[in-house]
Formats: sequence, C-alpha cells, structure tokens
Amino acid sequence: MKKKITLQIQGMECPNCAMKLESIEDRLKGVLRAEASYHKALLTVEYQEELISEEAIRAEIARLGYQAV
Amino acid sequence: MVNILLAFLTGLTTGGLSCLAVQGGLLASSLAGQIEKDLQNSPPAAHKRSRQNPPPRSKPQLAKPILVFLLAKLIAYTVLGLLLGWAGRVLQLSPYTRAFLLIAIGIFMLGSALRMLNVHPIFRYFAFEPPAALRRWLRRKAGSSADSPLLTPALLGAMTVLIPCGVTQVMMAAALATGNPLQSAALMFAFTLGTSPLFFAVAYFTTQIGARLERYFMRFVAIVVLILAIITIDSGIALAGSPVSLTRWFNQQLTGNLQPSLVEFQPPEDAESSSQVITIQVQNYGYEPALIRARADVPTRLRLISKDVYSCALAFTVPSLGIQELLKPTGITEIEIPPQQEGSRLTFSCSMGMYGGVILFEDV
Repeated sequence: MKKKITLQIQGMECPNCAMKLESIEDRLKGVLRAEASYHKALLTVEYQEELISEEAIRAEIARLGYQAV
Repeated sequence: MVNILLAFLTGLTTGGLSCLAVQGGLLASSLAGQIEKDLQNSPPAAHKRSRQNPPPRSKPQLAKPILVFLLAKLIAYTVLGLLLGWAGRVLQLSPYTRAFLLIAIGIFMLGSALRMLNVHPIFRYFAFEPPAALRRWLRRKAGSSADSPLLTPALLGAMTVLIPCGVTQVMMAAALATGNPLQSAALMFAFTLGTSPLFFAVAYFTTQIGARLERYFMRFVAIVVLILAIITIDSGIALAGSPVSLTRWFNQQLTGNLQPSLVEFQPPEDAESSSQVITIQVQNYGYEPALIRARADVPTRLRLISKDVYSCALAFTVPSLGIQELLKPTGITEIEIPPQQEGSRLTFSCSMGMYGGVILFEDV
C-alpha cells in the first residue's frame, strides 16, 4: 500500500541538500518518489509500506547527515 | 585596426581590477555553494581526532568552480563580442536600467549573505532552487553523486555579461566599432581572458585564507558577499543619480580629496555667447571638479578632457538626461546639455556609479 509522508528537515544548509536528500529515491527500495524543498526545509516521500518502513527512511536521512523532525 | 594583444593587456591590468568590484560578488556567491557542499561532505567526526594523527584537512575544492565560472564568463563574452559585431548597439542598457540591475543583484547578494549567516529562514528564498523535475534529471545525469555543484558557477559566470564594468564597456564599444563578428569576438575573448588571472588569483587565495578558519569559513564568505552586496547596491544608487554614495566617499578618502571644493562659474569662451562651457578633467580616480556651479537657463556644453585614462571614469553618464558616452583614453569629448532650471542639480557619474559629481545650476 502506498503512503506519503512529509518531514521537516533540520540541517539543510543549501539547495544541494535537497538533491542529496532526494537521492533516497534511487537508493532505497520501496521509495517511489522523494521531493525536497530547501526553501521550506521539507521532504515529501511516497513509498510502499510493504517494502520499506518510515523508520528506515528516517534512518537513511540521518545517515545522510540530516535530522527529520 | 584593433589590437587584440592590447585588449588582452588591458584586461590583464585595469580590466581585471575594475570588473572585480562588481562581478567578484557573483563569483563569491557561486563559490559559496561549493564551500557549503564540501563542508557538509567532510566527515563530522573529523574535529574530534587526536593531535598526533591529524586528519587530512578537507579543503573546499575551489579551483574547479572558479575555472568553470571564468570559462563560462569567457564563453559568454565571446558570444557577446560576436553579437556586438553583428548588431552591437541593441544590447546597450540605459543608465537607469543598469542601476536597477545593480541594485537587484546587490539585494540578491545581500539576501544570500544573510542566508549563509542563518539570520532567518526567510532568506532561504534567496537561493536558487531548480525545479524538482530538473533536479531529478540532473541527479540521474550525474549518477550516484546526486550533486551538480558546477552548474551554479557556470550560470553565474555567464550572467556577468549583464553587468559589464566601465573598462569592459569601453572594450565593447571597440568591439562594436570593428563591425566584424569574428574580430569583435576575438577582441572580447582576448580582453576577458586577460581579466581571468586576477579574478582567479583573488578568488582562490582569498578563499584559501578563509579555509584555514575552518568552521568560520562560511561566515567569512558570507561577510565578503555582504560587503560586496553593499558596494553593488551603493553603485546602483549612485548610478541612479543619488548625490550621496558610500563608494564615492571612500574613493575621495583614498585619493585624499576629503571634500571636493566648489568650483566657481566657468566663463563662456566667447563673451557674446549665451551658452556656457564646463570643463571637467577625467582622471583614473574620478572627475575634477566634482562639484560645479553653473548658470541656470542657458545651454551648457560639457567638455570632458581625458589623458591616459583607463578606468571606469571613461564610461561617462548623466542618468537623468539619458546621456552615456564612452570617452577615449586620451582626448576631448563635448556633450551638449539643454538649459536647466535654477536650483536644479545634475548628477553625473561613471557607468558603475563609482566616480561622479554634481552640477548646481544657479541664477546669476
């Protein structure tokens, strides 16, 4: 089942961060779409619940050096 | 016949210095993105390591974005040279348009600096964020690195074509005069190439000094951008005709001319003539006199005398009358000014607002 979450991100210092965060779309199996906004400090992720959990997504965000709050 | 070597040498000397004041801001802004990225990519535990085994210092990789910026600038100006050879005059901006452009760029730089200093989240909007679809395309193109840090310096380098400094405008006029697209492009290429070493040296060494400051580096860059933003806005304000300008005040301090003396009325050459002639000496550091009294309600002729001048002062403008004249490095140029009302003030300046003066029209 598809799920969409929007996370407030801390640690985004420049527009490059948005692209870096969006790269989870390519690297995490089950993530269908990731769209980040540096201006709003938000990350919207659409994913398949059967394939990946929200915790795993948050962990990947943390691994990239950001904090999802 | 225009000498390509002379264009290169002009760029190498006065061109580089003159253009650095305004275009340096764009270069600093473009480098800021690379510095931010490099600092983020450096391992977070690096600062905690012991003194015995210091980690390899993660210096921002600045040479590449500077070179990309300069290459984009070189290409943009060469293309401009080509266009000048074809059409030329179409691209000439009025003093007010250029003033507006300078102020807008200055505000953008100011916002960028405040963003880097994390003053308020609102300043995040001063950073250009490519549309999501473009980001996705770039990410896939770039592969796993997911970043395209060289796009910004490339775009900003090309953008410098919109804010040519005084010496560049002189060169553009020379390019226009060739009437030959290839020759014109070669001239602009040689000139822009000449300005590159100074741009590179200043940008590279300034930022390397900053890199030693490690965690304070971003603040250092932000403050440099902030200062350049203030200079850019001030130049725009001066070009728009403001009699008060920080840049001019600073130039006066540098040249030791603390307060320009008020020059008395200059008599007409011909006693029977009702018109008046105002003689202004064009210098490398500005105009003399800078404060002039003149008769109101009579036609005025400005006589601009230059001798071995290669600064921005050659691009003479009177914004309120839409006058812009590119003077010869050595020569006399005369400009007719219609009668002005008593009490009016006519502000003149170089095209970048760095040097200028005022004519006060009085009843005699």
